[in-house]
This record gives sequence, C-alpha cells and structure tokens, in this order.
Amino acid sequence: MEEGSAFVGIADPRDPREIRDLSAAFKRPSPIELPQTLEGDEEHVPGVLTTTLDKIINFGATVSYWPLLFGLACCAIEMMACAGPRWDISRFGMEAMRASPRQADGMIVAGWVSLKMAPRVIRLYEQIPDPKWVLVMGSCATSGNIWDTYNIVQGVDALLPVDVYVPGCPPRPEALWQGLEMIRKRIREGKHGYDGMHTIPIRAAMGE
Amino acid sequence: MAQAKSIDELSAVHKQVASVLQSKFGRKFAESSTFRGELTYVVAPEDWHAVLEFCRDTEELQFDRLDCLCGNHFPEREEAPFEVIANLVSIPNTTRVRVKTRLSEDQSLPTVTDLWPSAGFDERETWEMYGIGFEGNPNLTRLLTVPDFNGFPLRKDFPLQGTVGGRIRWDFKGEI
Ligand code: SF4
Repeated sequence: MEEGSAFVGIADPRDPREIRDLSAAFKRPSPIELPQTLEGDEEHVPGVLTTTLDKIINFGATVSYWPLLFGLACCAIEMMACAGPRWDISRFGMEAMRASPRQADGMIVAGWVSLKMAPRVIRLYEQIPDPKWVLVMGSCATSGNIWDTYNIVQGVDALLPVDVYVPGCPPRPEALWQGLEMIRKRIREGKHGYDGMHTIPIRAAMGE
Repeated sequence: MAQAKSIDELSAVHKQVASVLQSKFGRKFAESSTFRGELTYVVAPEDWHAVLEFCRDTEELQFDRLDCLCGNHFPEREEAPFEVIANLVSIPNTTRVRVKTRLSEDQSLPTVTDLWPSAGFDERETWEMYGIGFEGNPNLTRLLTVPDFNGFPLRKDFPLQGTVGGRIRWDFKGEI
C-alpha cells in the first residue's frame, strides 16, 4: 500500500490482526459501456418491455391489494388470523389493511350485516376509490346463515356488487386465502363485481 | 381442618345487607331468596323507586353502582308476564343485590335515571326489546333496531324466523 493513499479497511472478525483492503469496493462505478456494445445491433435492445398501461397497473394492484380494516362479527377473527404470522397474507402485499376507505382497494365483509349497520357498510363501500373488489366472507354475509331474523341483511349482494364469496362458518384462513387469490386473478384480468351495473344494487332497489 | 365453606352460604357482609333490607322493607318484599350467596328480592312496582333509592343512599348499604338493568318475559304468568331486574353493586362494601319487580302488560315503571344516569341506556334497551315503559326516562327511542321497527323482538311471542315484511324493510333514503 502506498504511503498517503486513501485506505478503507475493515477488521476481519476471525483474525483481528488482518486488515482487508476494501478500497476497490468503494471505487466510483465505471460508466456503462452499452452504447459501444450495441452499436449496429437493431434486434437486441435491452431494458424495454412492451405492455399496456392497464396491464402494468393491474399487475401492480395484484401484489398490493389493500383491504379495508373492517370486521363485523366472528368471521373477522379468522381474517385476523389470516393477517397474522401463521397464514401471513403479507406475502402477497395484503397485510396493509387500511383503516380509511380512501386508501383501500376493496373490502372483506367479514360477518353478518345488521340493518342498522347496512348504511355504514354502503357508505364505506362508496368511499373506496375505483377500481375496487369486494370479498364476502362467511355464510352470514353471503346469505344470512342461521340469522333469518328481523335485523339481519339476508346476503350482502342485496346491497353491494360482490366479486368473490367464501363459504363457511367461519371459513378457515386457507379458504379466505383462496378467496383472496381469486380476487388477485380478477384484478389481473381486469374484472370487477360492478361490471355492467349502472349503480350498486341497493341504489337500484331504491330507484336511484 | 376447617370445613370448606358452602357456596350457598351468605357472607357476613351480605348477611348485613339482608338484615338492613328486611328490617326496612320486610313486609313489602313479595319474595326473597338466596342463591349461591347472592340475594334476590321481589318488590311491587310501586316500591321500585323507593327500594332502589334506599339501597343507594343508606349508609350501611351504599349500592353506588347499577350493574345492569334488564327485562324478562314469562308468557305463562297470566297477570304479570313481565319482569324488570336490577343488579346493584356496592364498590365500598363489595356486596351485590338483585331487585326484581313483576309487571303486567302495558304497566310502566318509574325511571331510575335520577339515581344512576347509566340506567338510561338499560331502560332504553328494555323498552325496545320488551315494550316495558319507563316514566320519566329522557330518551326512550330505538337504539338497536331500525327506527320504523314494529314489535318487541325479545318477547317470547315474537317470530323467531323471517324478516317481517320483506328482505330489507328500512328505507335507506337519507341514510346512505
Ligand atoms: S358465518 Fe359464522 S363465523 Fe362468520 S359471522 Fe356468521 S356466524 Fe360468525
């Protein structure tokens, strides 16, 4: 090593006396020499991918589907399990459950919807920006389940356009996971529950 | 070795509560019973407010907390099918007492919101679910059911199944 040159070193933990010279790793990177190597090559233009804007946006959405942080009844416990470390939907970019509908990409309706809750569910749905996908979790939200009673909405599809139904009471986290995979498939294909509708079912029923 | 205490035996503080209440209202209690160390008294609807006020304000009792107030329906009891139950807790004395009253259809009770403001929600729910009126409650409106709901769902003769009058009855206009 020359006297007075810049020296960057690190102590090797295995042998404290040995100091390795790492200055080469901190050297300024050399300019890329692509223009020279590609001169005259018409066919191979690296770094360019032809696609449509829709496809690339949908691809991004499949790996960052953020559901609304929203549980209505016992099914929400399984949804939480799914978000926890054992089933860990954060592997697919879904763990960020947004507490604000304005930041969400859709909702998981987990549990029965009472008549008093229904207007709030609709309001939350309508505040989610398009495009949005709705997963209905459990028999209660799908059809009312055993609560064929005075205060429960007999199926959320009477209120909202639904993308995926997950049956079960409650569905196991694996089932919810499969439902979310189906949502991802629909995102990739660019399909939505509200395709072909002028307005959401409850507004249509109210004549709006 | 000392004999294990029976769970049905009243503790010393509860014996004290029983003696105070018996000496004050002895003849007015329609029924009194103990179950697993808990005291229960049945009073007439006219004495409802007076008994609860006595429980709260007497030096020896000090039932400063209304644990819950709820209703019940016994259709087989012809004259007095309804029941209102108040569970009181004394935090300084660590005692509990349960006071009940029996009501006929359309009979109402005086409110106890002047004693415990928390009774407001309990009375509201009891009215909503059983149709038992509470005179003087400042806000007897529907809480859990929709505003145009018809009937009292926890009465035993309310239909168990079926949305009464269609799939979604509530008009959502102005709500969503
Ligand atoms: S489907 Fe079952 S677990 Fe899910 S909300 Fe209904 S009753 Fe609860």
